[in-house]
Amino acid sequence: VWNMAAPETQLMLSVGLIEKDVNGDTLWVWCYPSVGGELRRILLSKCCLTQDGRDFHTFVFGQFSRTWYYITTVEVQEPTALNKVTHFSVVITAKDFNPEKYAALSRILCRMYVKHGSPVKMMEAYITVLTKGICHSDENGSFLIKDYDVRKAYLAGSVKDVVSQFGMETIILYTALMLKKRIIVHHPRIEALLEFTRILPALVWHRKDWSILHPYVHPTDAELEDLKKCPGYIAGFVDPDVSNRTDLFDVFVNLPDSTITVSQSAKEAMTMGKLHKDIGQLIVQSAEDAERSDSQVIKDISVKTKEILANLVALADECEDSKITLEGLKQHHFPPVTENFLFHLAAAEQLLRI
Amino acid sequence: MEEVDKILIHALKQVGMDVSEDIDGVKQFSSELIVEAVVACIRVIDPGLGSALPSSLPPGMSARFRVGMSLAQACQEIGYKGEIGYQTFLYSSEPEIRSLLMFLVEKLPRESAEASDQPTGKSVVLQRAITAAIKAQLTIPWLPPKCRLPLNCETQSQGAMNSFHVQPLSLPHCTKDPSKKHTKDMKDYQRDILPPVTSQISSHASMVSSILEQHTAELSAAQEWDNEWNSQGLLSRLTPQEYRSRKLTRLYKRIEDQLRSAALPSSDSAFGVSGATSDLSELLQAFKGSVPPGHILTKGTHFTHTQKFTFTQVGNSALGAKLMGTGHQSGGDVQLGQQEELSSLQQQFQQLCSEVDQLAVLDELKQRELGNTEREEKIQVKKKTIDLLPDAENSLLKLQALVEASTKRVVNLASQWEKHRAPLIDEFRRLKEICSSKDLESSKKLSEIKSLHGKIRVSTEEAKKKEDAYKQLVTELENLPQDVSRSAYTQRILEIVSNIKKQKEEITKILSDTKGLQKEINNLTGKLDRTFAVTDELVFKDAKKDESVRKSYKYLAALHENCNQLIQTIEDTGTILREIRDLEEQIETENGNKTVANLERILEDYKAIRQENSALTAKVREG
Repeated sequence: VWNMAAPETQLMLSVGLIEKDVNGDTLWVWCYPSVGGELRRILLSKCCLTQDGRDFHTFVFGQFSRTWYYITTVEVQEPTALNKVTHFSVVITAKDFNPEKYAALSRILCRMYVKHGSPVKMMEAYITVLTKGICHSDENGSFLIKDYDVRKAYLAGSVKDVVSQFGMETIILYTALMLKKRIIVHHPRIEALLEFTRILPALVWHRKDWSILHPYVHPTDAELEDLKKCPGYIAGFVDPDVSNRTDLFDVFVNLPDSTITVSQSAKEAMTMGKLHKDIGQLIVQSAEDAERSDSQVIKDISVKTKEILANLVALADECEDSKITLEGLKQHHFPPVTENFLFHLAAAEQLLRI
Repeated sequence: MEEVDKILIHALKQVGMDVSEDIDGVKQFSSELIVEAVVACIRVIDPGLGSALPSSLPPGMSARFRVGMSLAQACQEIGYKGEIGYQTFLYSSEPEIRSLLMFLVEKLPRESAEASDQPTGKSVVLQRAITAAIKAQLTIPWLPPKCRLPLNCETQSQGAMNSFHVQPLSLPHCTKDPSKKHTKDMKDYQRDILPPVTSQISSHASMVSSILEQHTAELSAAQEWDNEWNSQGLLSRLTPQEYRSRKLTRLYKRIEDQLRSAALPSSDSAFGVSGATSDLSELLQAFKGSVPPGHILTKGTHFTHTQKFTFTQVGNSALGAKLMGTGHQSGGDVQLGQQEELSSLQQQFQQLCSEVDQLAVLDELKQRELGNTEREEKIQVKKKTIDLLPDAENSLLKLQALVEASTKRVVNLASQWEKHRAPLIDEFRRLKEICSSKDLESSKKLSEIKSLHGKIRVSTEEAKKKEDAYKQLVTELENLPQDVSRSAYTQRILEIVSNIKKQKEEITKILSDTKGLQKEINNLTGKLDRTFAVTDELVFKDAKKDESVRKSYKYLAALHENCNQLIQTIEDTGTILREIRDLEEQIETENGNKTVANLERILEDYKAIRQENSALTAKVREG
């Protein structure tokens, strides 16, 4: 009996193979169906095999030009059907954000490739997943797409860790995300970067928008161009020199030093007052509560966010064509910081008219 | 002994003594000659001592006696260890004189030519000559022109100096590219028409400078090429011709780029004329200050940067002029200006607002478009599904079959592609391996070549040094005095050494023979004694009984006794012969002392001294 796969399988775009051989060359050797030249270059640069062999990263993921890529790298151990290959990476590109799903899938594909030495078998498995949503593997049973719900991917990180690292400063991140600002996170280790940045969009759970997340960016022209297309983003950089690029961020997070800096140009928009203090306290309290799990913390935050948004919508409804204007806001005589915040929030939520 | 005497006489001649040609042995030295020789030697060895001594024997006996004593004294002071006294000089004996003269000649200070330690290659000699000439010229005091000697006119006036004008020369033997063969026409031209170098120059004064210039240029070009080739040319792994042509194209390209970048801004500049000269100098500066030929010049050179800088300066100064102009306005206009500013700012604000609106709208538009495309796709899929819906079961089966077929096809294609791809990738990897191993080999060979070059350089230097040393030694050899043939002496010495070796061998042989003989004698003596003892006993035993045996015993004893005596006599004869030989030798040596003649002379001299003494006492008594 066929389990006709839900339209989610159309989210997978391509699978590719990168090999490193005994001569030290790293080559893009195979892909299906096809991968454009620029994306191929980007993927090669993200693969740890091209990076002078310093670190070996088993699994990295990122986003480029609205395409998510997931790279699993394996070192070839004897005995194997592959000759002259020392390491290889399987790259899967897809439209959706779901690291666990694609990690599991690429593990299966890697095992197949090592066993058979030919990408044809790998491709068969890939197509099976594409058409039937299920793939049999030699070990550990089968891979079913429906096991990997996207909500699980969204909630896979830990908000509690973020709050425990930054404490009250978490409110800066919250504000920046609410106002759709540009956040840059730096950590020399890519795994730490991925783990941290993937949970940040959960602070604004009402949008459920992970397309703002670019967890693995190199400061090359192509990638920075792509980044600039988004008005607000969360970008992760391994390169420490990015802290000098003040033109690229409004908020800079230095993970190893646990510091958050707001750039000069954004200070005015990001001023925080009593409202923020309240929200911040709420976040910290909720996270410090050992009884509450991560998802509950996120829920608490989103409840508060909905409150604020409801207020804002109410304000908007008072004005004509339900769009807030600066004058309308001024009539309520909010404290200036709150007024500023609401003004920018309305702009971000597209409730503003000038 | 003859050679020794020859050497002694030669040495004495060098000291300055006048030895006539027919004296070729110390034997023939008269007392006067001996004294002269010794004094001359002492004078050279120790001038202080030698000045006190007379150079020849005075006639008076006592004076001669005194001179002899002082000479002996002097010789002892110098360090002669042998027995010496006035008799050595007045009543000389050959061996004594010989040993004394040998000692003195040894003591003579060696000729140490200051120049012999320094290299005397031809160029060094020339340089030293030049140095000496210049020194001499510098020491001559300057005199006003009228007072000068004609000899110094040339060197002290300015007319002799020429400025260093250089004219290009055309030489037939260009070493730039030795492999390039000259065409026949070229050869003919060079042979028949090309004038010699001396007539190629228009002014005689600039000939030397032109030749020097030409030579230095060629030499430095060759050296530079060598250096460049050894450092970069080998690294580039091209043949010399390829390397040269590549360098040429690179240089052309660079010149092109420089000129082009120079030409562009200067055409836009308003200060074209005055800027042109500075452009050229800056252009040349850029050429000079560029990177070494190994790199290709980048566009942003020092030159273009300075050009840009001058532009901004010009721009700034123009702006400054404008501002200066506006600053002169009165205060009443200030308000007007401010109002203008306000209105312009308001305009800008309006513009920005509209831009923000636009952006917001565009943003929304983009979002909506994206959403639209997604929804369109979904609609398409749903439409198709709806079409198939009436015959759901069949369509489902058909769709499944279709999907399976396409899957199979795609997998088939993939496996076909794999058949092509795998060998290609393997080939690529294999070739890459070969390439890298070749790289390794070639870099190894390159380092070998470099080391060989180093060795070549070292060897050429050594060869040069050795050639110089050889030349210097040859000149030294030529300069050495020819009258004493050293080689003859060395030959004789070597001959004597080999003779001595042979004699030594013979002596050892004789000694071993003697030893063997002695052993035999001992053996035989021992045997004889034993045999005689046994015979004696045997016969004596029988002698008691038999008469004839007693007689034979008596004969045996007599025989033994006589033979013993014979042997004894032989031994004595031998000893006496040896004594005779020794005595003969002694007689010979004593004869050489010519003691008799000396004794007679001494007696005569003694008589002469007594006469002198009496004469002197008579004089004293008188006066």
